[in-house]
Amino acid sequence: MNSAPGSAPRKAASEIPSVVSLDNVVKEYRSEGLPVRAVDGVSLEIAAGSFVALVGRSGCGKSTLLNLAGAMDFPTSGEVRLDGVATTSLDDAGLTRMRREKVGFIFQSFQLLPTLSVVENVELPLLLAGKNNARVAAHERLAWVELESLGNRMPHQLSGGQMQRVAIARALVHDPKLLLADEPTGNLDSTTGDLILTLLRRIVTEQKTSMLMATHSTEAAALSDVLVKMRDGRVAEVIRR
Amino acid sequence: MSRALLFYRLIVRPLFREPLRTALTVLAVALGVAVVLAIDLAGNAAAGSFRSSVETLMGDSDLEVTSTGGVPDAVVGTLATLPYSIRVRPRIQDFVTVVDSGQTVPLIGIDLIGEAADSQVVSVSNGDETLKNPGDLEGVWVGSSLRAKPGATIRLLMNDHTRDYRVRGVFDDTAEGGGVVVMDMAAAQRELGRVGRVDSVLLKVPDDPPLAEWQKRLGDALPAGIVTRAIGSRTSENQRMLAAFRWNLRVLSYIALLVGAFLIYNTVSVSVVRRRAEIGIVRALGASRGAVLAAFLGEAACFGIAGAVLGCALGRVLATGALKLLSATVQALYVSSRPGAIELTFTSLAAAMLIGIGMSIVAALSPASEAARVSPMEAMARGQREYTARMNKGRDMLIALGLAVGGVMCTVPHAIAGKPLFGYFSAILLIGASALAIPGIADYLLQAFSKLLQRIMGVEGLLASRSLIGSLRRTSVLVGALSTAVAMMTSVGSMVGSFRQTVTSWMDNQLQADLYLRPAGTVASDQHPTIPNALADTLARLPGVAGLDRFRAYDISYEGFPATLGAADFHAVQPFKKSAFLSGRSASDVYDDLQNHDAVVVSEPFANKHHLKRGDFITLPMGERQVRFHIVDVSYDYASEAGYIVMDRATLLRYLPDPDPSNLAIYIASGADLETVRAEVEKAIAGHDILIFSNRTLRSEAIQIFDRTFAITYALEVISIIVAVMGIAGALLALVVDRRREFGLLRFLGAATSQIRKLILVEAGLIGLLANLVGFTLGVALSFVLIYVINKQSFGWTIQFHWPTAVLAGSLLGVFISTILAGLYPAQIAVGLNPIEVVHEE
Repeated sequence: MNSAPGSAPRKAASEIPSVVSLDNVVKEYRSEGLPVRAVDGVSLEIAAGSFVALVGRSGCGKSTLLNLAGAMDFPTSGEVRLDGVATTSLDDAGLTRMRREKVGFIFQSFQLLPTLSVVENVELPLLLAGKNNARVAAHERLAWVELESLGNRMPHQLSGGQMQRVAIARALVHDPKLLLADEPTGNLDSTTGDLILTLLRRIVTEQKTSMLMATHSTEAAALSDVLVKMRDGRVAEVIRR
Repeated sequence: MSRALLFYRLIVRPLFREPLRTALTVLAVALGVAVVLAIDLAGNAAAGSFRSSVETLMGDSDLEVTSTGGVPDAVVGTLATLPYSIRVRPRIQDFVTVVDSGQTVPLIGIDLIGEAADSQVVSVSNGDETLKNPGDLEGVWVGSSLRAKPGATIRLLMNDHTRDYRVRGVFDDTAEGGGVVVMDMAAAQRELGRVGRVDSVLLKVPDDPPLAEWQKRLGDALPAGIVTRAIGSRTSENQRMLAAFRWNLRVLSYIALLVGAFLIYNTVSVSVVRRRAEIGIVRALGASRGAVLAAFLGEAACFGIAGAVLGCALGRVLATGALKLLSATVQALYVSSRPGAIELTFTSLAAAMLIGIGMSIVAALSPASEAARVSPMEAMARGQREYTARMNKGRDMLIALGLAVGGVMCTVPHAIAGKPLFGYFSAILLIGASALAIPGIADYLLQAFSKLLQRIMGVEGLLASRSLIGSLRRTSVLVGALSTAVAMMTSVGSMVGSFRQTVTSWMDNQLQADLYLRPAGTVASDQHPTIPNALADTLARLPGVAGLDRFRAYDISYEGFPATLGAADFHAVQPFKKSAFLSGRSASDVYDDLQNHDAVVVSEPFANKHHLKRGDFITLPMGERQVRFHIVDVSYDYASEAGYIVMDRATLLRYLPDPDPSNLAIYIASGADLETVRAEVEKAIAGHDILIFSNRTLRSEAIQIFDRTFAITYALEVISIIVAVMGIAGALLALVVDRRREFGLLRFLGAATSQIRKLILVEAGLIGLLANLVGFTLGVALSFVLIYVINKQSFGWTIQFHWPTAVLAGSLLGVFISTILAGLYPAQIAVGLNPIEVVHEE
């Protein structure tokens, strides 16, 4: 994974293929009629099976970058390639398909549907994609995050850490190539947060899933293979371990 | 001032952020208020027109002398020669049709010479001077609204003949409320075939002694069959007769308002749920519980005020249409009436405003009190409210059961002062039972069928059912509103459908003749123009005619209510007629009892209204005598709510020797050709204005009148459904706003926009299905209350229950489709949400 703020990407040192590549990506929003550049000429490549942490102050563009990488949004200029496919070449249905198959999301506030049971929450991405055997896959994932016994509980019957583990199981249920995590420990105490980080690290190591995580936490950043520091929508520094 | 500012900022301003939803809620209230106001205004206008032209044309009389079949001229002479200082004004009154315009107007015969001193017809008329010549009183004087000019010719249809009359003068008919034709008494008697008698005599008596004493004195001086009553009694009778009809219509008009109340409840509930955090903050900052309560009631009042103002304007517009429908019904079923002007008075406006605002505030009381009870800490806890709703399901089901039992028990007591108050109370209890049972029913059904829904509808079915369970309170209120409207549709539809089928079956028995004849002109239950009996004799002798029934009808008053006294040729029709009687006896047995006796059959509505039964006796004024009649049976009858008293023609002629029949029914001989007989009949009646109806045409005309009568009930039902569906649309919009984060999340998890749209539409469809299910069940229960309690106690008709399957299936499907359509716009809003924004907003 290479980066250079405001410049063309450099080639990766290894020959591992990239899951996501961003090429001079700009994302502008309009706020009160004025353009606001949330991401400003970022070039990045995330190799398969790597754990990348995005750090920086609030509003520096971390979440916007996650959304661009996760095919949730189109760049204003530049190109985002997800598993080799440029997102700008896809229509809304194409982006949806891409998300269903390649991307999993983990949120700071867990975002479980309160009306569905734990196992139903986990199987939801597969059901939305119209896949068979969703229940079996959901139970497997719950077993993986060690919550198999809680499948029939409702979200409000779980602790914060358990909820985030369910959210992780849900993000993994369709075997995505890329996992995007936005402040996954932001709503958890430090002990529980550590457990979640360990779990995320395990995913990358055991499942070979790429992870792009936006975080304020130094502990979280310390677990990553690559640390990308962002400032004012640009990549300020890249630290590889 | 500062409180008003806070109220504006915290309550009013947020309403403008969702203009469509706010508008839908206001419109729901507006429609409810409009319907109530429209029915009230139209009812007043229709009922206010009963004051007859006879009374208004010279309005200072005190008493009216009448008799069945007319007051003999001799009685007028008796009155004029009594040793009292009373003014005597004989009157002929009937209806004529102005042929050119087709308008039916009252015809009044007055003694133009005798009343020349104070008749406005004479004094104001601007016609020729011939009135000063007592020898020439031919022609007519017409009201100005008929737009005829003095000296012109006007063609009038009365009884069975049409003739040209010279317009002798035109007078201002503003006080009469519409066109009136006046003739001299003698001319009117001649033209209507009433020589030797008048229809009534108006009396002006001295102030002392009191009116009651005058009534007694005159009663003593006149023959027993002559009735003396206070002027305006007939108007009161008509209004009393119409009271039940107006009362039921008014109750029906409140349904749309009730549905609107559900929606106000929902809107304020949503508002409270959304602002729980705000409630916590303002409570923490020092707001009292009373202030929170006042704020939410104030929000409801805002909806109420806006809705009521709009509703008043809309109500005035709807009143015009409602008056047309009401007048047609009143004319066909009750009494000849001329709709009065629709008067939007301050009182009616104030009442409508009060109803709209009051209903809104009452509907908001429960959620507003709940908001006021919340402690600041509790206000921050999300989901508590729904949890409460879940926890109360069992208790609510028990209360619902209690209410349902109460509802059933309320069907037992009799009417109070002619009003089926317990019947209404039963309906209210059943609606309450249904509303309380809905959370339990909805929860059970959605839980039980969520897997099935998922199999049929995909993941959207699962999500929709779980979402509806998750917000059970909101779901229940929406289902409650729509199911109330559906229940009313089902029950009124079943009642009307059953009634229609009952009337059709009744007509199959009752209308056995092949041809029916009646004088041309407008049909009304209190107008009985006649056909010359000699003509009837001619028809009876025609080849192919096996039987002829000469039916004569008189409009009478019995115990303060109008009724129709009739006589039929039972001996002539005995082999043909198959009237059905409550006793179950055969028609021929009953007809045998009627012949050669002072015996009558009364119709079911008449018997119920006056608490009479087979074997009782009634006394009727017949000419100059009071005659006691034995009730030999009670007949099923659906022709008039006022009711019939029917005797044999021979009996009637013994007391009222006027042989001219009002209607004729011809039975053709077996083997005779109907068209040939009809041609013969047409030839025989040439020169008379008489209408001929075949059996099929008469039935079809009767059914048309029936359908027109109930058109207004259908209109009210449709408005209730519209209000409910608008509420669903508004509530779904609120739901989209409240669950935008969930929809955004689903997009993150791979949901396509089409899946989000489908999810909303499935939710809308499930609400529609639940409402149809609950509403249909409640509607069936209500239809039994309507048919067997409210209808029976109000109108006295026995209605056999029939399922109007096609109408009900079509209506329920229509409601279901409408509900899904109501979800289209909210679904579009949901699809247009930016998932990134909504998922990350806190």
